[in-house]
Amino acid sequence: MEPLIAGLMALMDPGLLVLLFAATLGGVIIGALPGLNATTGAALLLPFTITMDPIPAIAILTTIYCAATFAGAITAILINTPGTSASATTCLDGYPLAQRGEAGRALGMATISSTIGGIISVICLMLAAPLMARMAYNFAPPEYFALTVFGISMLATIGDGTPLRNIIAGAFGVLLATVGKDLLTTVERFTFGFNELSEGIGFVPVMIGIFGISELLVQAERLSVKRRQVHMKAIKLPSRADYQKVWRTILRSSGIGTFIGILPAEGATVASMIGYNEARRWSKTPKEFGKGSIEGIAGSEAANNSAAGGAMVPTLALGIPGSPTAAVILAGLMVHGLQPGPTMFTEQAEFAYAIFWAMLLVNVMFIFVGLFGAKIFARVTFVPVQILWPIVFTFSIVGGYALDQSMLDVYIALGAGVIGYFMRRFGYSVVPLAIGLILGGMLEKRLGQSLIMLDDQWWLMFTRPLTLLFFALTVLALFGPFLWRLFKQRDPMVSTGE
Amino acid sequence: MTRYAVPCGIIAFCLLTYWLSTQFDRVPPILLRGMQPADFPQMVLILIVTLAVLVMLFDRPIVRDPVPSAVWISLGLFGLFALAAQVDLFLGLGVFAGALAFMWGERRIWAIGLVALISPALVFLLFDQVFSIRFPRGLLTNLWYG
Repeated sequence: MEPLIAGLMALMDPGLLVLLFAATLGGVIIGALPGLNATTGAALLLPFTITMDPIPAIAILTTIYCAATFAGAITAILINTPGTSASATTCLDGYPLAQRGEAGRALGMATISSTIGGIISVICLMLAAPLMARMAYNFAPPEYFALTVFGISMLATIGDGTPLRNIIAGAFGVLLATVGKDLLTTVERFTFGFNELSEGIGFVPVMIGIFGISELLVQAERLSVKRRQVHMKAIKLPSRADYQKVWRTILRSSGIGTFIGILPAEGATVASMIGYNEARRWSKTPKEFGKGSIEGIAGSEAANNSAAGGAMVPTLALGIPGSPTAAVILAGLMVHGLQPGPTMFTEQAEFAYAIFWAMLLVNVMFIFVGLFGAKIFARVTFVPVQILWPIVFTFSIVGGYALDQSMLDVYIALGAGVIGYFMRRFGYSVVPLAIGLILGGMLEKRLGQSLIMLDDQWWLMFTRPLTLLFFALTVLALFGPFLWRLFKQRDPMVSTGE
Repeated sequence: MTRYAVPCGIIAFCLLTYWLSTQFDRVPPILLRGMQPADFPQMVLILIVTLAVLVMLFDRPIVRDPVPSAVWISLGLFGLFALAAQVDLFLGLGVFAGALAFMWGERRIWAIGLVALISPALVFLLFDQVFSIRFPRGLLTNLWYG
């Protein structure tokens, strides 16, 4: 109880509250800007937090995460362009509603669902993260190694690439993490005589490159895209009839979103898709879906916002990112010298709870920002890309330089941007690369420790029940989708289309 | 073509990297605890090669339009930035931002001025004054640092 109150008190600084409100506005603007999303926004703003204390720094990043995820709905509803991929399903019903002259009702529902979903997930985070951390407290290196392997295996199903390509991208990230001094032997690897590389490739320049600079090149492909805004009079809160229709959907989607978020590497996009599909499956009026169903908006938005809270559970409790944006936040934690994992809730409990409170606060701020500012934020979408992206590039380069004040980092960011663009072009998602880079060091360290502990008899790892469980989950994560497809093909009911 | 070209490129990269990893110093067996420094990267490289072969065999190639000229121009401007940044980081940023806006179709002088002059200047002041970041000396930054 004491750390809970201490965490709240740490946030009660008026300056910090103003900063969090500004971060909420910033996050909403980032989510509404074309091509920018929560992950890119967090990566770009990470260098701004370098000189801050850990609590405000990480609170700002989590605020950006929550706010940008929410803001994707604004553009999804008003211009049929999801501000973030997590809001793609919101377009399906939000835009038809807006075309019918009910943009205000749609945005109102998106705001309320996001707020409720976000609050439920943060409450789950407050309860689940310390429990998970306590469970993981007794993990030995083999268990941690197996858990990290499981986290990496979950990369197979994320992003827009195929499972094989995602794992290649993730493995490439792990390979990048081997650059620099080997932790156990201090032998230098892949440094090519650059002293700056002795400590390894920095997370921040790579993140800025693959999320920010590669997006600039993607935007170069879309220069001819025109956007048109649907007219909106005012935002009104959903009616009592709307609430009666959607409360079950909001609760269900919040639960789904939180659970999906907790799974390593899965994020808001998967959550919103499942939340939307479940809303349609349980609806009394499934035929309305895709034509302007208020339940569709609630199902999608409650799920994607609750995934943000869920994703922070493994991030803080185990040091395994729950989503791409959580991976950037994890990088932020490491930059600030914090060690996510079970010890966070014993040695830095005040910090952990301050982050929880900040996430709760930002979810309340959505109501005001979403209901009173959506009309203004929707206009942000129309900032010409010719002005926006040169400015984003300036921030990216200076941000890449700022952390270690090294020009090599600038060139790493630039190189990562070019590689990231071509990866995306050839169907290799950049998200697994980012997560692989973060988990790579941890993976190697824990494998080395495990081998020392087991006297180089690596097969003994399979005699430990928890390790075995994580390896079994890894096999399931990698081959589950194939087995499921095989099973469905053999099912006579499915194969005959009944 | 990309069905084979990209995985083959990945395999070639991995082979080169594997060879580089064989050049790492080795720890004498008597002192070794755990793995040799090259073992882990080599395991990862073998995994990538195996997966790249599987991609060649099983993944459908992605058919995409050729890379648009705007992307090639932007990539060329990255090169221009890298060169100009040798003289001064902020000169490079200004030249890049102005040229990018122009090449992407911006013709309003005030808009080009905003991205090429005002925005790099404001970013410099923000990082210099608020975050106390010291930028590398160059043609323009020397004017400020003296």
